[in-house]
Order: sequence, then structure tokens, then C-alpha cells
Amino acid sequence: MPIHAPSLPPHPIQGQGLPAALVLGRFEVRRILRQRLGRFFGFAFALVLLVELALVYFKPMAGAGGQLLPQGADFQAGLLGKALLFLLWLQVAQVGGGLVARDTLYRIRPLLYAHPVRPLDYLLGKGMVAVGIPLLIQLPFILLPWGLSLLSAGAQGPVWPTAPLRLIPAALVVALLMGLITLGASSLASTPRGGFAWALGLVLGFGALGTLLSGLLSDPRWGALSPMALAQAWPRLCCGAPGDLGWFPTGLGTLVHLGFWLGVVVLRTRPAEALA
Amino acid sequence: MSLLSLDRASLRYGDILGLSPTSFSLPLGGGITGLLGPNGAGKSSLIQLLCGLLPPSGGEVRVFGEAPYRNPAILGRIGLVPEGDRFPTGLRGDRWLRMMGRLSGLEGQALETALGATLDLVGMTDRAHLPFSAMSKGMRQRIRLAQGLLHGSDLLVLDEPFNGLDPEGRLELMETLRGLAGQGRHILVSSHILGEVAQLTDRILLLLRGRLLAEGSVTEIRALLDRHPVELRVHSEDPRAVARWAVEEAGLAGLRMEAGAVVLSVGSPRAFLPRFQDAVARGAFPFTALSPLDLDLDAVFHYLVQDHA
Repeated sequence: MPIHAPSLPPHPIQGQGLPAALVLGRFEVRRILRQRLGRFFGFAFALVLLVELALVYFKPMAGAGGQLLPQGADFQAGLLGKALLFLLWLQVAQVGGGLVARDTLYRIRPLLYAHPVRPLDYLLGKGMVAVGIPLLIQLPFILLPWGLSLLSAGAQGPVWPTAPLRLIPAALVVALLMGLITLGASSLASTPRGGFAWALGLVLGFGALGTLLSGLLSDPRWGALSPMALAQAWPRLCCGAPGDLGWFPTGLGTLVHLGFWLGVVVLRTRPAEALA
Repeated sequence: MSLLSLDRASLRYGDILGLSPTSFSLPLGGGITGLLGPNGAGKSSLIQLLCGLLPPSGGEVRVFGEAPYRNPAILGRIGLVPEGDRFPTGLRGDRWLRMMGRLSGLEGQALETALGATLDLVGMTDRAHLPFSAMSKGMRQRIRLAQGLLHGSDLLVLDEPFNGLDPEGRLELMETLRGLAGQGRHILVSSHILGEVAQLTDRILLLLRGRLLAEGSVTEIRALLDRHPVELRVHSEDPRAVARWAVEEAGLAGLRMEAGAVVLSVGSPRAFLPRFQDAVARGAFPFTALSPLDLDLDAVFHYLVQDHA
């Protein structure tokens, strides 16, 4: 064993603290929280949430003599509505698009893998951020209207008492879809801006392809190619609201996207790829 | 147990051979070892194997007696200072170092103590809070070095650490590395410039085209230069006068005329150059400039290849 002279720093005590995936995830979250763009998205999401909360009161009251009434499945699914999901896609593309691409640009992955960090730790760390952020943003849009409805009118309020049980699983699938697609896009890019462009390009490109094939083949199920259509379909399916996509095309389309983009990220973040 | 050993270890990137089957070992005991070779010689491949970034395609690699690939116990004893000067511009040096420390299993007071001691060692205590964009290249290099030392690494591996540094920065880094080696650290420095490594250490490994060509002291490598003719280009207003002087001197293996210069091929530059200096001082011929054509590392490799052939 080497002899350490007294003037060298003593060997620090290792093996403490968080697992590597959590260290990476925490570092990314803190970096994201320091970004100025977060304020814009924070304002935009708050606005959408305020509108949603106002609807809980005013929409049911319109034709019911001032009293709150239970609403249908469309209203429940609308808590994770188009406006929220569109904003969320933009935000996730901006955040997730840079998660892997930034490390590629600054050649950080080889350095990470020279530490006790496995590729799985790296993927889990980045994945937690890419999936966790859209999930956390969706939760207030489910829980606040639900809580407000319960407080205002109990079980007879506009939001079903069981709505979180239906919408939280939908939000989780939507977050997984958004997180993995943007991580895949980020792994294909060499700069964070490139990752953002890839993420938007993939979402809009698959959307256009889905719409085109649906029209050409007169079969709306081809819409399941579109990540945006899939994200909109899950809350509706979980709440039992009618829609263009049924369980099978939505489930299959989601599984194909998740499997494909997970494969892309795994391949593109291997140590051999990081060193190329 | 040796510091590191390779037993017919090779590395392939698909169809491309990064490192041919190579065997050597370095003993424990601290000190600096130079890893020399021109660009594309296989230095980075060897470093990737030693730092556990990739498994060998064949053979065996051992560091501190164990295979480093996906071996947290060994990776925790190695500090890699990679090549390049790219950092996220808005990021602060101390935040970066804290994350790297946490990845090596440091936390809380142990992390802060190690961070303070390491920053002190590399002379960045007062400047680590700056964002990378506000740091000079030398400061960023010190932060990179601190990253390799933070977790108390026993083996420090530096990939082309002098690239892009100004002369003052090079000297400072050399002093720091000498100090670390003097206190028992094992240091492996890769470079494609013989002169840089020669100032640091007398123990070198020579790589070329994915092969380990030689291991030995800088003196032995320099001796190779004396055994082979060296070409010197002498710029002069009267190259013929230089040629006339040279043909009468012992040790001239050949010469050729160029516009405004003469290229002398000399057997032993160490013996020839003092005589040349005397002739210039005596005014034996008009003299403008002298430039060696093949005194660099590539020439050494060329000679080694010839010797091996």
C-alpha cells in the first residue's frame, strides 16, 4: 500500500451518501431550478391551473342555479387537458432535450463512468428528472381541483372523488412517454439546443405522420403513432371518456414508443458510445 | 501486487484496433510515469482500459491487483483527469466538484473536508466558487486536477494535461504533479510531446499505432537519437559556404542543398552541434538560423519502428 505523507489530505471516508443515480438526479434538478426559463413555464402553468380551478366553480354553476353539480368523464379528463399537455411537451422538450446532450457536448459521460457510476445509474438519474418533472407538474392539476371540489361540495362536487385514482396513473404514463421520448431525442443530439429541436421534431413529426396515415387509410387508430395524441388519450381512457383511440391502439402505441426510445437512450449512453 | 499490469490486453472499437495485445506492468511505490505517443498511438485507449471505462477486448487488465471495469472499489482509487477544456459555462467549480465527490461516495463533513483540502492543494481555495466561464484555462485545469484528487485517489491518470496551457501554467502544473508524486501518489501522464514528459519523469511508456514499442528511461530514448542520423536545416545567405565547411567535418552522413539553406545529416548531433557553434562564432560562414527536422517524438518512433523491423 502506498505511504501517504502527512502533508497530503487524508483519505476521505467513502461509501456514504446517496446512490449515484440520486446524486445525478439532484444535480440536474438544482441546475434546472436555477434556469431563468423556468419562471416563464412556472407562470404559464400557474395560469392554466387558475383557469382550471375557476372552471370547477363557474362551469357547473352556469346552468344549475348556483349549485355545484357532478360532472361527466369529459370534465374529469379535461383536468389534464390539451393546453396543459401542450405546455408540458414544450417544457419537457426544453428540459429533457438537454439532459443527455449537455453531457455529450461537454464530454462528461466518460468522466462519470470513470467514477463508480454504472450506465444504469446514469440512465436512472436522467430518467428520474425527465419523467419526474412532468409527473410533478401534472399532480397539482389533478389534486388541487379534486381537493377544492371535495371541500366545496363533498362527493357531489364536479370532480369525482375517485378522479385521482384514474388520473394519476394516466399522468404517470404521460410522464413516462414524455420523459423517454425527450431523453431519446437528447441522446441523439450533441448540444442542448439540438436536443430541444430533436424532441420537438420527433413529437411534431410523429404527430404529422399519425394524422396523415389516419386520413389516408381512413382509420383513426393510426393516430396512436403521435405522442401528443397518446398523451391526450390516456386521461380520457382512464376516465372512460369517448375518444378516437381505444385501449389497444393507445397501449400498443405507447409501448412501442417507450420500448423504442428506451432502446435508443440505452444504446447512445453506453460507455463505448460516450468515448466515440 | 503491482500498481497496474496488462497481460496481452487489447481494445477494439468495432473493426478499429485501438490497442494491440500489450503486456507490461508498473510497480507500486509512487512516482510519475509518462505515456508517450503521437496522436492516434493508443494512449487514450490504454487510459480507457486502466480507468475501467471499457473492458479489454482480449487479455487482462489489472489495477491494484483487480480488474477495474465496473469495479467500484478500484474506480474509487483512480482519479481520471480527461483531455479537453469543456465545461458547462454557467456552472460553478465548487458545485461541479461536490457532485463528483458525491459520485465517489463522499457526503456531508467528509465531502467538505476533502474539498477544502484538495482546493488548497491545487491553489484554488479562493476561486472555486467562480463559474467556469469566468475562469482562465489554467484555473479550469486545476479544477480538473482537483476532481481527480478529491476522493483520495491512489492513482492519478492525466490525459494530455498540458494541451492548451501557457508556459507558466505548464510549469505550475508540473510543480504540482512533482509535489504529489513526491508524497507517494502514482501518476500516469499521457502526452505526445517528449520534452514535456522528460521534464516530469524518467520512466516512460512509448506507444505507436496501438502497440507498446518501448518502456524505459528518457535517457535511453534520447540515446536512440544519437544512434540515428539527424537532419539539421541551416539557413544561410551562402548555403554553399556552410556545405564546404560541413564536408570537412567528421560525422557528416549526407547533405542536400535547398533554396537559401542546406540540410545536413549528422550522425551524432551532440558531438556535431558544439563544433557548429564554434564555426558560427568564428564566422566560418554566414549564418541565419538552425532548425532540426527530425528531433521530435515522431522521429523517435520512426527509428524505433525501423529498429523493430
